[in-house]
Amino acid sequence: MGDQIHAVGASIPQLDSHEKVTGTALYVADLVRPGMLHAAIVQSPHAHARILSYDIKKAMELPGVHAIVTGDDLDESDRMGAFIKDEPAFAKGKVRYVGEIVAAVAADSEALARAAARLIDIEYELLPAALDPMEALKPDAPKVHDDSASYVKVFDAGTEGNVCSRTKLSEGDVAAAWNQCDVIVEGTYETQAQAHLSLEPCGALAEVDAQGRVTLWSANQSVFRVQANVCESLGLPMTRLRCQTPRIGAGFGNKMEAHVQPVLVCLALKAKKTVRLILSREEDFETVRARHPFRIRMKTGATSDGKLLAREVELVLDGGAYGDDSPGVLGYALLMNVGPYNIPNVLAHGRVAYTNKMRFGAFRGFGVPQVTFASEQQIDELAKKLGIDPIALRRINIKGRDDKWFCGQEIASNGLEECLNKVEEASDWRAVRAGGHERARGDVRIGYGVATSAHIGGLLASGAIVRVLEDGSVLLNTGAVDIGQGSNTVLTQMCAEALKLPIEKVAIASPDTDGSPYNWGTTASRVTFMAGRSVVKAAAEVEEKLKQQASAMLECSADDLELRAGGRIGVKGAPGMELPFGAISGRAHWAAGGPIIGSHSWVFDQKTVDPKRAIATGLPFQQIGIFSFTAIVVEVEVDLLTGKVRVPRAWSAVDVGRAINPQLVKGQIEGAFVQGLGFALTEELVWDGGKLANPTLMDYKIPTFVELPDDLNTFIVESNEASGPFGAKSVGEIGMNGVAAAISNGIANAVGFYSPRLPITGERVMESLNQSWQATS
Amino acid sequence: MSVELLINGKAFNVDAGIGDTLLSVLREKLDFKSAKRGCNQGVCGACTVSVDGWPMRGCLSLAVGCAGKDIRTLEGLSATRRMQFLQEAFVNFGAFQCGFCTPGMLVAADALLARELNPSHEDVKVAMSGNLCRCTGYLPIVAAVRNAAERIRKEAARG
Amino acid sequence: MNGISSETDGTIRIGATTRHRETAGSPLLKGGLFVVRSAASQIANATVRNMGTIGGSISFADPGLDYPPALVAADASVEIASIRGRRRISAREFFTDWYTVALEPGEMVVSVYLPGHWLTGHGFYIKHARVSGDYATVSVALCRQEDGAVSVAVGGCGPKPIANSAANAELTASLDDAAIKRASDILRDQSDPLDDVRGTASYRRSLITGLLRRAVRQAEKSVGSES
Repeated sequence: MGDQIHAVGASIPQLDSHEKVTGTALYVADLVRPGMLHAAIVQSPHAHARILSYDIKKAMELPGVHAIVTGDDLDESDRMGAFIKDEPAFAKGKVRYVGEIVAAVAADSEALARAAARLIDIEYELLPAALDPMEALKPDAPKVHDDSASYVKVFDAGTEGNVCSRTKLSEGDVAAAWNQCDVIVEGTYETQAQAHLSLEPCGALAEVDAQGRVTLWSANQSVFRVQANVCESLGLPMTRLRCQTPRIGAGFGNKMEAHVQPVLVCLALKAKKTVRLILSREEDFETVRARHPFRIRMKTGATSDGKLLAREVELVLDGGAYGDDSPGVLGYALLMNVGPYNIPNVLAHGRVAYTNKMRFGAFRGFGVPQVTFASEQQIDELAKKLGIDPIALRRINIKGRDDKWFCGQEIASNGLEECLNKVEEASDWRAVRAGGHERARGDVRIGYGVATSAHIGGLLASGAIVRVLEDGSVLLNTGAVDIGQGSNTVLTQMCAEALKLPIEKVAIASPDTDGSPYNWGTTASRVTFMAGRSVVKAAAEVEEKLKQQASAMLECSADDLELRAGGRIGVKGAPGMELPFGAISGRAHWAAGGPIIGSHSWVFDQKTVDPKRAIATGLPFQQIGIFSFTAIVVEVEVDLLTGKVRVPRAWSAVDVGRAINPQLVKGQIEGAFVQGLGFALTEELVWDGGKLANPTLMDYKIPTFVELPDDLNTFIVESNEASGPFGAKSVGEIGMNGVAAAISNGIANAVGFYSPRLPITGERVMESLNQSWQATS
Repeated sequence: MSVELLINGKAFNVDAGIGDTLLSVLREKLDFKSAKRGCNQGVCGACTVSVDGWPMRGCLSLAVGCAGKDIRTLEGLSATRRMQFLQEAFVNFGAFQCGFCTPGMLVAADALLARELNPSHEDVKVAMSGNLCRCTGYLPIVAAVRNAAERIRKEAARG
Repeated sequence: MNGISSETDGTIRIGATTRHRETAGSPLLKGGLFVVRSAASQIANATVRNMGTIGGSISFADPGLDYPPALVAADASVEIASIRGRRRISAREFFTDWYTVALEPGEMVVSVYLPGHWLTGHGFYIKHARVSGDYATVSVALCRQEDGAVSVAVGGCGPKPIANSAANAELTASLDDAAIKRASDILRDQSDPLDDVRGTASYRRSLITGLLRRAVRQAEKSVGSES
């Protein structure tokens, strides 16, 4: 047996690869139970209305219908919400957006359930709707929530009327700083609602046992958030609900908080039978959540030597009907708005507006793609005005290792400079910007754009339990949901490496609120760092306990023992004197000491705000996470006849601390890039009054194979974070942050104008082209 | 109504409504769950199955209209050498993350390689453009399909 | 009803149940009729092209579809059958309005006929869409014979394909920028696009000149070469 196990750093295939390539992986829609009923939802046709009455008689009389739930089955006082407890399990008393779930039916088949759903009559009293966030914030606007100030909140949200939350962060003296600036850039930007489009629509399956305890399988990014949300919104003690996890068909934030789980559990409890509910693609578009539209007012100033001096930003987020993660997105976007630059004077403030549209929530990037779109364009514009190369200007200002983040958090490892070096070199940036490459080909104009960004990994709590089974193999349980990004594989690799075991000897348990310790969620790019740290510490405890047992068995001091590759504990300097884990574990189980279990849990503990440096009002988190960094360069082609933009080549570098599994890291960078391409160029949810105009894949277009750049290059930078497990930080979201900005900067380089709105459609580019042609003619 | 469907080389007698799609019959009546329902509108490709050797949308095909046709799903194609090369390549190149689009991708890739054993990067992109993926960004899928093609060619050359 | 064949007088017949895949690959659709082949090959994606048929597609008549402008440019005619018998009308007459065609109850499309005089020359279908596989935002179908006769139709700009003999006459006389502008002005005046998620009416109208120029340049490049 070899001396070293090198699981960390190896690009091993995902542990569930076989089932995925044979089509045997079971997602929630593939789960069946004997006697299972099928559910269908009834959706609100109105953006804002009071519910006056339900008539379910005809529906209940349909043969094969077992149960129907409406708002009458809910208690007024039961509400859920990540930051503000403003959301019922499904509509009660009022409907607040078109498509909101108002009732659900359980029947023998899906077709029957849908037929019964159509027979339910609901009487509404129409109310005026607040559809635009700016309008909603006016004092005389219709109130989405009758008394929003009275809701329970987990932080100082400032909720009032249609202001869901407000946040303000400041450092230095922005007002005074403008006078010292030699050049100032100002602008207003608008970003759109983007749909997550996980290929798997949301769904859940609820089983009720004889005691009335519910086991809930659902497409989720956190069994613990599902449990909390369902129990809070139905008034159930958490011991009454067990949440489990099938294979998940992707979640980019849409499955982090509740979707159909509350209404389904309510229905299953009423039917007293197992019920499964799978949303259609249209229902998924209309009822779940999407990325927040942002309205951004931003101003940046610099001195003529290129040093950034001042930044002011004001954000208005369209929050939709319920708070969901909105306060977090606002706070985080404000915290990150500056980008990874030293700007000594910053004023960042904003509000989330309640509107009568679907709720907006977590989506890869969590507000940073939106603010970065504005910020990185302004940096570029400043560079242009100062006559400094865009990358050179960034280098003058980027945060170094000893710099603190906006508001004062310490930055530990920092590979941003290396990221910039890599993309600058690989794209041949200097030669290109010096005019060394073709700028025009027929009707096409070519340009290059750059953007940098940062993102955190961390936030809230995670834990791990490592158990040595009787035969010496190991079972790892964290409760972290693998949504396809490969966390099961990565955590197993870390555990194997920590205990010097071959991967085959480590199994990872499926997330289960009954047995898993805790993981806030697969979100905030946090699982590798947060759950990983717990895995390493729990494994260390296991090593200690193994040594304790072994010291008794080998009659020596535990300090004389070492962990050996292949699952053995041996006496230092005595190669023959050793015991396999199985022998040690056997004694622990049957003779003395008890089974060997290591555990660890923690909450991310680095403070975000240094009160000596910054003033923060209404920031919904006090400790956020560890910083990863990125730099992107793109080559863009602008078709002058249609305005259509193509990205033939791109270079994306990310400082991930340490790549536990390089292939999976590459997968995150590439996948995020293409999702960013959609955000930048083609994706937009469009409303027709209060109703979504394009809730189908015919009309809402994500990038296909053909839109993939001809040449997409990724670079993994490893800055080795001391506080990270094996040096790792995060990668899940950051690959998306700078894509839209880099593309916009590339377009500006090609045809001379920046883009204040997303997506940058052919039509919007044509408008700008026509304006600039008119200006010059 | 009763219809006989030939799936993966075996005949199945199914009781199908006139409007039942092939996808719903495969998944709900016959327990072939590899094909997925991603949009039920013919756009995402997660329901792609092979019918008479051509990739088709299970969600847009009526079950009763498929009587007498040779229907192959991933469950059946997994037994073929060509599909096994594809599956190995998908695993080695990380050509999936959540795996939901993967059965449809593999069926489409298999149909491409059945006709073209030396597809260029462009050929693969165009041939598979009817299958959407939201996780991978497509690049490793293209690499995997071309790698499988290369290995199949090498094996054929060895005779 | 299935398959593509050549009649004795040179007319090409496409059966209504012919799949797009077959139409996209048919060597019989050459010369100016390549416009139909090109349109078929850009419908959606390969998998959908294995399933969709020309009869089904044109009967649905979504203005973003690819066949209608190609068929109008190629002077196609549509054969319709019912228990009462058969009749033929021009493609121009067949597409009447948004999602509406000249089919009476009980009638169905059985064939599409393409005139043999377009078998020489060149045909192009230029499609502008948001992403691969999308319906056309705007499209231009162009046929040009060796003697210079041109037939053009624009799709996605109104309830039915836009074609105009005056526009055709301009391009038949000359392919220079001025002629393209005059022809596209005529077509634009006749257009009646809507605002939708793919683009506003004004964007669509603004694309006509550019896409027509692109089609013409392709025609110029092909002069003297096989298509």
